[in-house]
Amino acid sequence: MKREPFFWVSISCGIVIMAFILLPLIQLLTSPSVGMLRESIGDRDVVRSIWLSIYTAGLAALISFVFGTPLAYLLARYDFRGKRLVEGIIDLPIAIPHPVVGIAILSVAGKNHFFGQILAELGVRIMGSVTGIVTVLTFVGIPFYLNAAKAGFEAVSPRLERVSRSLGASMFGTFVRITFPLAWRSMLIGIIMCSARAISEFGAVVIVAYHPMIAPVLIYERFEAYGLKYSQPVAVWLVSISLILFLLLRILTLHKVEEQ
Amino acid sequence: MRAAILFRWTWCAMVAIILILTQGQAFAEVSGKIVIFNAGSLTIPLAQMEKEFEANYPQVDVLREAAGSQKCARKISDLKKPCDIMASADYKVIDKLLIPNYADWNIRFATNQLVLCYTDKSKYAGEVNAKNWYEILARKGVIWGHSEPNLDPCGYRALMVLQLAEKYYKIPGLYARLVANRPKENIRPKSVELVSLLQTGNMDYAWEYLSVAVQHGLKYILLPDQINLGNYRFDEFYSQAVVKVTGKKPGTFMDMKGGSVTYGITMIKDAPNREAAIAFLKYMLDPQGGLKILKNQGQPPFVPCRVPTGAMKSSLPEPLKDLVEVKD
Repeated sequence: MKREPFFWVSISCGIVIMAFILLPLIQLLTSPSVGMLRESIGDRDVVRSIWLSIYTAGLAALISFVFGTPLAYLLARYDFRGKRLVEGIIDLPIAIPHPVVGIAILSVAGKNHFFGQILAELGVRIMGSVTGIVTVLTFVGIPFYLNAAKAGFEAVSPRLERVSRSLGASMFGTFVRITFPLAWRSMLIGIIMCSARAISEFGAVVIVAYHPMIAPVLIYERFEAYGLKYSQPVAVWLVSISLILFLLLRILTLHKVEEQ
Repeated sequence: MRAAILFRWTWCAMVAIILILTQGQAFAEVSGKIVIFNAGSLTIPLAQMEKEFEANYPQVDVLREAAGSQKCARKISDLKKPCDIMASADYKVIDKLLIPNYADWNIRFATNQLVLCYTDKSKYAGEVNAKNWYEILARKGVIWGHSEPNLDPCGYRALMVLQLAEKYYKIPGLYARLVANRPKENIRPKSVELVSLLQTGNMDYAWEYLSVAVQHGLKYILLPDQINLGNYRFDEFYSQAVVKVTGKKPGTFMDMKGGSVTYGITMIKDAPNREAAIAFLKYMLDPQGGLKILKNQGQPPFVPCRVPTGAMKSSLPEPLKDLVEVKD
């Protein structure tokens, strides 16, 4: 078969995009020396911040999963007035500039707001705390989970659910036995997307919590205080570790697809 | 016939436009962008100067980037970001990080002092005054903070004020007691960020420059000259305060010694728009120009501005020489 010009256009666009994404990343990954890399991973602050990044992002994904799944299901199954509005609101965190997210969260969490006063009385502190970091990361990450899970539920035929219900299964039983096994892959992708978004967040977190430092904040601090040379190794570790984590998750899911 | 008239009119209009364009260019000696990296605490006065300057030089666009002074210097020395002018809240940052590789001279142009800021919603806002502020900062449940000493001169200066307070009020152990009541979480990269924490009620008290307090309409407590770092006559007393900040690489430290708050400004050696930058500096360092704005914003300028040595004065661009005096 003769290749049309369109084929070659697609190929060249693809190459340009790959180069666009990979070139800066490869430059970043290859600039620090092995010695610097070893030195930085031996630094307790670096390890602590990467660990904090991973587990706050994981917590944000978990919270999104627990609270987001019912809403995603609702949106996939039911039509109601104002549904478009709800969907628009869900997408809002993607569109708001990150520092604005941080400022908005802080202004609700402060003593000048009734909600902040309730929090203060409960002894919950948002500014400069892990709670604050998780709050921010959930805020920016949850749209990704909701959208992916919703798409997954929409792909499951409601007829299957109806059959299950007509045979006497409860709504919850139907969800666990029918819908979840068919849609879990989309949900997992949602969780990956949500935590990937969370682990990359900087602008909103640095406003809410400078200390304790997540990895992106530490990279920024290292850059400002010591310069590029000492911030790059941390960046390399963060990029590599998150790359490995996400690759593992992808491989696990793909593996299952081939099995089925 | 009609076409001929139309043609003549178009032709006249074109000539007129060309004349206007060339004339305009003949009037403005300088044009283009001026990039200024400035300390966060200079943001508001510089914004005003930008407006005034651009009104006189419509061809010029002043672009300001505010950050901690140390970061401003890093953007030039490490990131090699193109920049024309760098203004630092501590003139020593320019001496330390930019001279001699990136700049030749350093003009000291303004002073400032540290104040303790709060709002009427702050805890104990009703009782706090210049006599009891340190007791209140030591109370449990009071959230107060300062900026990162490793990134922002205002941060280590705040710590110096606390050290000097211990000496001035003769209360041994005061510094340690105060710092113990300030968890690390209350530290922010630059001092101006603390303002929004105060305003949203996330923080009760914050250390700021007087100018920042005035510009943001915050309540503040003025401290005695012996500890506010605002009066160079007390430089000797100030020098008793020593704060350890991070050095050139992680794990290394260096000592910052107390001194009066003195702002420095320089032009970067390979400034992309030298002509315009000099024009801006000439306006900014003029007692009737930028210095007047600084004064109105609670940031007392040096009139005239100062350089430490005659050699440095002779290395200044010609138009700036008349605006500075040699004074250590």
